[in-house]
Amino acid sequence: MQFLTPTAFWFALTLPVIIAFYLLKRRRQTRVVSTSLLWTRFLAEHQANAPFQKLRRHWLLLLQLLILSLAILALARPLIQGNGLEREWLIVLIDTSASMQSTDVKPSRMEQAHREVEALIETMDETDQMMLIAAGYPTRVIQSATSSKTDLRRALGKIPAADTGTRLAEGLKLASTFAEGLEAVQIHLFTDGAISDLKDQQWPEADLVYHPIGQGGENVGIVSMDIRPNPEDPTSTAIFAGIANYGSQPRELILELSLDDQLVEGRPLDIAAGATASQTFIANQPEEGVFKLSINLKDDLEIDNEVSLVSRLPKSASVLLVSQGNRFLERAISSIPGLALAVTDTWDPLASEQADLIILDGILPESLPAKHLLAIDVFPQAWFEKVTPEESPTVVDWLATHPIMRFSPLDNVSIASAGGIKAPSWATPIVEASQTPLILAGEEQGRRVVWLGFNPLNSTWPLRVSFPIFVQNAIQWLTAPEQESSWGNLHTGEALVTGADHDSDTVNIRLPDGSVQSLSLNPETTQFVFSDTFSQGIYQIEHRDMIERFASNLLDPSESDTGPRSTIQLGDYGQITASTQERAQVESWRPILLLALSVLLFEWFYYHRRTV
Amino acid sequence: MNPGKPDSLISPEWLRYLERLSFLSRKRSRSSQRGERRSRARGHSVEFADHRNYVVGDDLRYLDWNLLGRLDRLFLKIYEEERELPLHLFVDLSESMNFGTPSKFDVARQIAAAMGYVALNGFDRVHLNLFPNSAAQGAQGLPPRHLRGKGSSMRLLDHLSALRPGGQGSLNQALQEAARGNRRQGTVMVISDFMDPDGYESGLKAWCSQGMDVHAFMVLASEELNPTLHGDLRLVDCENGSHEEVTFGRHQLKAYQATLQGYLDQIQNFCRRHAIGFHLVPSHINLESWLLADLRKAMLWK
Repeated sequence: MQFLTPTAFWFALTLPVIIAFYLLKRRRQTRVVSTSLLWTRFLAEHQANAPFQKLRRHWLLLLQLLILSLAILALARPLIQGNGLEREWLIVLIDTSASMQSTDVKPSRMEQAHREVEALIETMDETDQMMLIAAGYPTRVIQSATSSKTDLRRALGKIPAADTGTRLAEGLKLASTFAEGLEAVQIHLFTDGAISDLKDQQWPEADLVYHPIGQGGENVGIVSMDIRPNPEDPTSTAIFAGIANYGSQPRELILELSLDDQLVEGRPLDIAAGATASQTFIANQPEEGVFKLSINLKDDLEIDNEVSLVSRLPKSASVLLVSQGNRFLERAISSIPGLALAVTDTWDPLASEQADLIILDGILPESLPAKHLLAIDVFPQAWFEKVTPEESPTVVDWLATHPIMRFSPLDNVSIASAGGIKAPSWATPIVEASQTPLILAGEEQGRRVVWLGFNPLNSTWPLRVSFPIFVQNAIQWLTAPEQESSWGNLHTGEALVTGADHDSDTVNIRLPDGSVQSLSLNPETTQFVFSDTFSQGIYQIEHRDMIERFASNLLDPSESDTGPRSTIQLGDYGQITASTQERAQVESWRPILLLALSVLLFEWFYYHRRTV
Repeated sequence: MNPGKPDSLISPEWLRYLERLSFLSRKRSRSSQRGERRSRARGHSVEFADHRNYVVGDDLRYLDWNLLGRLDRLFLKIYEEERELPLHLFVDLSESMNFGTPSKFDVARQIAAAMGYVALNGFDRVHLNLFPNSAAQGAQGLPPRHLRGKGSSMRLLDHLSALRPGGQGSLNQALQEAARGNRRQGTVMVISDFMDPDGYESGLKAWCSQGMDVHAFMVLASEELNPTLHGDLRLVDCENGSHEEVTFGRHQLKAYQATLQGYLDQIQNFCRRHAIGFHLVPSHINLESWLLADLRKAMLWK
């Protein structure tokens, strides 16, 4: 055991004072007796005259000495050696993601985390150093290592919960960096466990203590939303939304879709516990506007009950299809609104100059044009050194998260033959057979390329509904980003990259809360980056007379899934378990003082019992 | 006590019981006064004692004519002389006797009254010794030193009734002074709490050495036998003002009782060694049954 204030033992000098009080001044009640003869004999036989023997059976004195000893012990602030880990350095990582706004614990999970961190600060002794890191967008050190509890408490008050997703991996990397080279380091993780970015994280070289925050998980949230032209009627707009119920009870709610604050549709929805419901809305959109989808439901997390997306009318793009004839492809392309399609069966360099996007369907020109390309069943030598035919390749995997493969599964698609290649470095395989990639996507020499390694007509794919969706996805992805109808819809914390006007020096951006930020533009660059998109809502870029809007939304299923987690997966094999681990050296003056108080009460009781 | 109402000390029913009693002395009377007690002296009574040879001058009325007829020799019949048996009553009137409920003093004078009444009723002389002297000079003045005859019993009761305890007395001194002036053998009854710091041994021995039949009656209050004191106490002696500081509670009761028992054992051993009758009288005792039953068993009277 150690003592933080061993000088308090000087108070032990007060112990003899109590003894002196007992010896010198004891209040006695006078009683007249017939004779003192018997009492003199009684005292001689049973109560010796020596001062300390007189004290032998004075329980009150012993109790008072015990009380004073306990008080002195508490003043000395003893540290009890526990089973916990040795620590001198504490790195506290606080999750500031949107899920920490949950109100399942009152007033919120963030407040609970603050309380628990404050309790941890309380256990620090003079030699402990603590650092506070807010893990979010951006991850930042709120308080550098210090032993000042006042500074730590003040810094802790500056950590609010943001509207962003979790970015704990970066926080852990930062903490691990600080922990390097130090001994007796503990990293304390205060999070609700709604984390999706720790899969590739290495276990830090420090003791990791996970403090789970939150209790319940009764949350319904909009976890996905997308706007695109209606595939069946290109003049209207389709809004796809995913609503998930992460609670344990089925819920009834009403989905409300509005366009520029005008209600478009209200739709009742029953959603089972643990289920995700996909909903599609069709709306007529005469001009650019903001679609807002909201759930009128009181649950633990409010931020995911509303999503706003900016919907632009697609700009026309010219597409050149070089093909010997492919009706499925032509129909899929023609169903996309705002496209000017030109079809040719031979390569014409002049025609290609006019086009924004060229589709090479089995026809390979001598030199590849410097345009965005959808290359089907062509094998340019510039891309592939060697092509080996693959008979009946089986689709084994596809990258469903890639924008091109969105809503376009390749289940039960049979392919007669394909060209076996090795993917070049610039390309990402998004559909793979067992031996070869079947579809690649990437950027090469300033152009976007989507490559199919087989002829769709030699497969069953054109008969599936996923084929026209794939074609639409690919063309949207290949055309310039500013032509995408979904451009300008970000996740909170994501940076916006957009073209800059060369004639102006500054640009004003109005944030969802109404405040305005001015950005200075570098005249030599054609783009500017705006990264302060941490709040959910609609942002306005104001320059000259132009007003351009973009939206920032949470749309993060892992944040909406607010159920408490007792473990967090770290890397492939690591697992952080919720810890109730106590510190190695626990300051224990409080229980000692409580014990002293109890003894004092007992002494009071004993005194009255004895003298009544 | 009101002299007109002696029954407040001893009730009339009690007196009737007491009238039937007579002392059983372990000693023969040596008194010169005639009485109703058998004595070593020869004299004129109905109790035949012995024969002796006739010498000239003897009263011819005591010749044993039957022996003269049978043996033709002169023998004189000798009869026992019945004399009185003096009773010395010592009653402690010190302040310490004014203690307890009922007070030890009340019990002591009731015992003295009963003893004195029985003695006077048996034509024995009663010497009433009260100490300390300051208390003995009560409302009735000096106590009657010698009482004799049944008629004196009312005087005795009246005087005892008028007594009030007080002052500090020495048991040894009172016993020794009285022993020095005594020339007659008899019975001595000392009624006290025997809590004199100077002791009691020399006083009792002074009487034992004269061959007296001595009885000690130790009267103790229930508060002394089982004290109900608690806490940190300053105990003041009511007689001499000395004090002791003691912390006392229920847990010390056994230790106190052990001390008391040790003191009682000490007195009893002393009395046994000197053939003194010892009688412990708690003040709350049923005095009637004690006098009439327990003392009969103790062969004090019959």
